[in-house]
Amino acid sequence: MKKKWMNTVVTMLAGMMILTACGGKSGGSPVEGDAPYPLTLVVNQVGEIPDPKNPIEEKLREYTNTDLRIQWIPYSAYDEKINVMIASNELPKLMKLNYSPTTISSLEADLFWDITSHLKNYPNLAAQPQQYYDNISVNGKVYGIPLFRDMGRAIVSYRQDWLDAAGLKAPVTLDDWYEIIRYSTEEDPDKNGKRDTYGMMLDKGYNQGTASTLTRLAVSQGAPNKWGIDEEGNFYPEFESEIFFDVMKMFRKLYAEKLINQDFAVVDSSELNKVYESGRANIRISGGNGQSLQTKLEKVVPDAVVNVSPLQGPDGIRVPGESGNTGFLAIPKSTVISEEELDKVLTFVDKLFDPEMVNLINKGIEGVHYSVEGDFTVTLDADKDAQEVKPYRDSLPQRGELYNMEKKAKGTELFALNKKIVQENENYIIPNPALTLKSETYNERGGELEQIITDAQTKFIMGHIDEAGWHAEVEKWRKSGGEQIAAEYKQSYEKLK
Amino acid sequence: MKSNQTLAEGALQVKRPLRQQRSKHLLRDLVRDRWMYLMLLPGVLYFIIFKYVPMYGVTMAFQDYKPHLGFFGSPWTGMKHFIRFFSEPQFWMLFRNTIILALYNLIFFFPLPIILSLMLNELRRERFKRFVQTLIYIPHFVSWVVVVGIFYILFTTENGILNELIYRITGEKIAFLLEADWFRTMIVSQAIWKEVGWGTVIFLAALAGVDLQQYEAARIDGAGRWRQLWHITLPAIRSTIVILLILRLGNFLDSGFEQIFLMITPTNREVSEVFDTYVYTKGMTQAQYSYSAAVGLFKSFVGLLLVLGSNWLAKKFGEEGVY
Amino acid sequence: MRQDKTRGNRLFDLINHSILFLVAIVCVLPFVYVLAVSFASPAEAARGGLILLPREWSLVSYQYIFSSDTLPRSLLVSVYITVVGTLINLAFTSLMAYPLSKPHLRGRNPILLGVLITMLFSGGMIPTYFVVNGLNLTNTLWALMIPNAISAFNLIVLKNFFQQIPDGLEDSAKIDGCHDLGVLIRIVLPLSLPAMATFGLFYAVAHWNTFFNAILYINDNHKWPIQVMLREIVILAQSRVGDSSFDEMDVQPLTIRMAVIVFATVPILLVYPFLQKHFAKGVMLGSVKG
Repeated sequence: MKKKWMNTVVTMLAGMMILTACGGKSGGSPVEGDAPYPLTLVVNQVGEIPDPKNPIEEKLREYTNTDLRIQWIPYSAYDEKINVMIASNELPKLMKLNYSPTTISSLEADLFWDITSHLKNYPNLAAQPQQYYDNISVNGKVYGIPLFRDMGRAIVSYRQDWLDAAGLKAPVTLDDWYEIIRYSTEEDPDKNGKRDTYGMMLDKGYNQGTASTLTRLAVSQGAPNKWGIDEEGNFYPEFESEIFFDVMKMFRKLYAEKLINQDFAVVDSSELNKVYESGRANIRISGGNGQSLQTKLEKVVPDAVVNVSPLQGPDGIRVPGESGNTGFLAIPKSTVISEEELDKVLTFVDKLFDPEMVNLINKGIEGVHYSVEGDFTVTLDADKDAQEVKPYRDSLPQRGELYNMEKKAKGTELFALNKKIVQENENYIIPNPALTLKSETYNERGGELEQIITDAQTKFIMGHIDEAGWHAEVEKWRKSGGEQIAAEYKQSYEKLK
Repeated sequence: MKSNQTLAEGALQVKRPLRQQRSKHLLRDLVRDRWMYLMLLPGVLYFIIFKYVPMYGVTMAFQDYKPHLGFFGSPWTGMKHFIRFFSEPQFWMLFRNTIILALYNLIFFFPLPIILSLMLNELRRERFKRFVQTLIYIPHFVSWVVVVGIFYILFTTENGILNELIYRITGEKIAFLLEADWFRTMIVSQAIWKEVGWGTVIFLAALAGVDLQQYEAARIDGAGRWRQLWHITLPAIRSTIVILLILRLGNFLDSGFEQIFLMITPTNREVSEVFDTYVYTKGMTQAQYSYSAAVGLFKSFVGLLLVLGSNWLAKKFGEEGVY
Repeated sequence: MRQDKTRGNRLFDLINHSILFLVAIVCVLPFVYVLAVSFASPAEAARGGLILLPREWSLVSYQYIFSSDTLPRSLLVSVYITVVGTLINLAFTSLMAYPLSKPHLRGRNPILLGVLITMLFSGGMIPTYFVVNGLNLTNTLWALMIPNAISAFNLIVLKNFFQQIPDGLEDSAKIDGCHDLGVLIRIVLPLSLPAMATFGLFYAVAHWNTFFNAILYINDNHKWPIQVMLREIVILAQSRVGDSSFDEMDVQPLTIRMAVIVFATVPILLVYPFLQKHFAKGVMLGSVKG
């Protein structure tokens, strides 16, 4: 009995030795001169982590003449890991940060290089629109290169076949929205004899963050994006505008008449996607591409037709401007110690925008991941693309077709239309004036103040509170710090002017 | 070694073995128990190195901690975060919600694993017993996200399986997931479903130590099943129950953040917002580490008082307690 | 066992059996759903509804799991840290719990109080990271095992279990010339097999569920356990990350997510049935000792 025990333990110990012995580190000391510049990069993981020796990464190293080492960190602990890295001063040469209160405090503390004045020395970096840099600036200084994303992503997607059958068009006014939603809920658009469809469905995040359906719809009708500025230069929140309240009232009516899902306050977006993808819901405002919905929908309802159109209202197209990035790459001062070294890092990033690299990052390797067909490129295998190319597409800065891409990717008509709308949206953007403004009160109580309002919106739509009740909640918001935030934004705004 | 042997031989003469008693000579005790102390050493070192050395981190609650300044560079703020916490207008609501939820769990959840393991213990057929044991512990491995997802599929008013059933019978639907009145019931039933089987494991281990001859003897004396349960089975696991209860009180104010966070809606917030979720909205999303740490320290302190108090009480009633 | 034949007893057994059977079914049903969806074709899963037996069987999801070596490899890492980590845990915990189970031991109460306090107060993530890093454990799998070598909860409960063992047997071993360590190994541990199996299970499950420490302490993704992958694939897809940082495209289909859950859960589920025979054995040994 005892002997058996000992045997197991000894075997285990031996096993441990073998396994840990495999973790040997190999690292040569960097040689000056033409030798590849050792560059460590920390980004968050997107799907599968690629093998560092894969051809895409090898090509990246070769072209940029760097010894690039990418450390991928899963989303589930990214912020904590970054905090530990900062606290223990184990930083890489280049790292992805999100524009959040923690990072802003680190940026203000001068932990990262201020590259505002350096950008002009790098042709590719200088060629990107200033707005993208402004959106990640802190006190007017730029501390990194954005991981670019479209600023006007919001798009309306709907079932064209249902609209055609009813003789309806893509919505412009709130009345149009109401009618589309009413028709597709009440008049059995899928002709199965059952009332099992919804014109529109909301999930529990319907009024939160940049993806807020309330904001997107209200902006299209003429409301400000999150914050407005009146004639006297005072800041006021979106929900104090008449139009925004009209949108809320419309949803209240829709809810009371059971034209939208009655459980929207608890439902997860993933549950909602399932309903849209199974052909039981019509219209929605989203940030994705309508083609992916079409592809999934076809498997369940073969003759379904999805279409997309820009967010528009009585005054034409109006889209809330988003930050235009999914984070940014910043350069720590503790590891990149001199201006010369900073130059090397920035040169690396600049080179990523060369046509060859843009192709590589976006599409992978010709013949392996994509092929060229006339003026277009075609992805060879979607799964392979998702596993081997997407990680780089999502974690390295690039602007897709908008900068230095030689040939566009071939896609369906819907896919191309969606892309075109999003790109043109950039001309109709209503920016959020408070995006990079400073407010102490917001930093301290922002989350809780937002909650007062988002809770009240849900309760108002569900009919738990009436108009008076809603105004009382807004008043509560003002008194608990909302007024202060508005004042601080105004102050910060005038300072930057 | 020699003195040890003579001691042990001496023990034979006395009714209670000598080594059970504490002699008046400290040194002699230390020498006698030298092997014991040697065995303690790795564990004690472990706790010192991995638990007590990092303990300076609690100072965060008295600072305005910033990662780049560290524990020694961040500015000191004294009791600022505590004062802010206690003077929040919501403080008493949070306190009430947290306590009520903890009591619900204590009253409705805590006894269930005991009852279930006693039921399992009554099973004669070993096969069936193992079958049930294996199945009831599966839910422990299901993450909260999935549990809440399952409850959504069952209880939502939009084609929820149970709600459809209720609708067919009563003609009405119940907004289980939205109404404040149902919140605590939902939380406790989720916890029961997920953890009750897992909770039986430890009691089954305690029951395995019960001397079978005692049952034999009781049966000869004509004791029925209930009397055997009352006089043999329960006393055998009593000290385990007491220990678990005391330790549970230590994290009395922990409500299980993930679960509650997933179940909160604007319509039930007046009963669902607890310390843990509040700290999240307030602290984590706004990077207020020190504030979160202060709330955490407050919770730990309450836990310590409860543990020490209940341990004292347990000892008064002749139980072994934690120490 | 003549008594078992009375009517009351039979009724009791019937009710008891039915209740337990029902409880078992309620517990396992959702897992059956997960299992069924993982074997269903993506199209069937997309149609939604509750699936308990797929109509169109498909192995696509499992093909995906084995299409790269990421998931199988992380499963091996999990198995390794679970087996080795649990052995370390049991050795450390029983070694410390045994002396603490002796009320006469000087200094016992302060130590127990010290242990208890670590259950309630913790220095937090960053100071602990400094210690682990200072000991050069980061980037090794030891970082997932050594810093959790003893759980205070398990230690205290195990100490309590040890205390239940009658002193008679231990004392006679001492008379035979065993020192305390010998008593622990030869007498106490064999008598405590049910307890060792239980705490082994507790520790094993804790190791199996490790994900945060892995991300925190280990940079090399080849050494990440399965739960890290599970989190990335399953939890993120379901929790509301919103489309502010995510595209819908990033979310894996339901069938794959469910297959990953099955893949990452079944190995640890198999541990308990295997341990159950030790519970039975404990009963027999327990009867000998009287």
